[in-house]
Amino acid sequence: MKTDTRRKIMALIRSRCAEGVRPVEMVRHLGVTAQAVHYHLRALLSSGKLEVVGRGPTTRYVVAGIPRFDAAIRWATSAAPPGQSPSQWVCESRDVFLGRLARISALSKEGLSDREIPLLISAVGEIGNNCFDHNLGKWRDSPGCWFEIQVTGKKAWTLIADRGQGIFRSIERVLPKIVGEQEALRVAFEQVISGRAPENRGNGLKFVRGTLSLYPQCGIACRSGQGLVDYGPLGPECRSYLEKPTTPWPGTVTLVVWSLK
Amino acid sequence: MKIQIKKFGTILSSRPAGREAALVMKSTLRPGPREKVELDFSGVLAVGPSWLDEVLTSLQNDFGKERVICLPTDNLSVIESLKIIDATHRPSP
Repeated sequence: MKTDTRRKIMALIRSRCAEGVRPVEMVRHLGVTAQAVHYHLRALLSSGKLEVVGRGPTTRYVVAGIPRFDAAIRWATSAAPPGQSPSQWVCESRDVFLGRLARISALSKEGLSDREIPLLISAVGEIGNNCFDHNLGKWRDSPGCWFEIQVTGKKAWTLIADRGQGIFRSIERVLPKIVGEQEALRVAFEQVISGRAPENRGNGLKFVRGTLSLYPQCGIACRSGQGLVDYGPLGPECRSYLEKPTTPWPGTVTLVVWSLK
Repeated sequence: MKIQIKKFGTILSSRPAGREAALVMKSTLRPGPREKVELDFSGVLAVGPSWLDEVLTSLQNDFGKERVICLPTDNLSVIESLKIIDATHRPSP
């Protein structure tokens, strides 16, 4: 009955995708011994189906390859002010964000090559800087951007989110006839136009799209309001994580993925 | 005249930082009348197009487009940034 227990463990973990499951909960839920649970967990880990999150008594098992940005998306999209922003993720000023960009260099230990690191840093840098460029003095409530990197399933996932005005409002200032949030997002990524005209800007997101479309190992998706776009070979995978909730997202959330060797 | 870009940091991102760097460069540069201003990116980890656009535009306004040169580099962030800056500034056909 090894296979059945293993299948039940996987089903339990999948049903609690966001938070993962502790071994003690598996024992209680499945009615098997702790030794049996750990035996199957070792096999599932070595086959790459599961990953471990946390340490010691808070160790949880999660399905491999699925990034978990639920907390970030809740922070970015809640209608009510989020209260205290978690300082380990939220960069309240541009200086803090730029300082934390160097964290991407640590992905070299996970398999990101020395040639790829500069591209990922510069692309993520442009996205994060946009949060500050377009929302300074106009934050809905909490200033800054959420900046989080996760490695799972041989991929590095980077999420940048803000509680700002959204891309439509920036673009609408210079293109008053823009027809909606979807079109505003497309324009932001595909046309050289500055949301801060008459300042001569507008190449940042074009650079991001170009860079992340060029290489087969990456992709990006961006959601703002009801608008949602994706670019690059892995763009649809990013997109799938930004489709819910379907209620409008007033700020901007961008997810970048880069495959690791 | 060569500018060691790494002296401004190893991760160079954002327009405000680019503007500040350009002001510092211009305050210390004293090139001869025809001398080229060469940007050397060796030792730099990553450059964003926003930072580089601010620096290049500012230097080119003062010294002329032909005199401001980016030295060859294999850093992909510099190469891709220059491509988008060039495409953005190219006059429409």
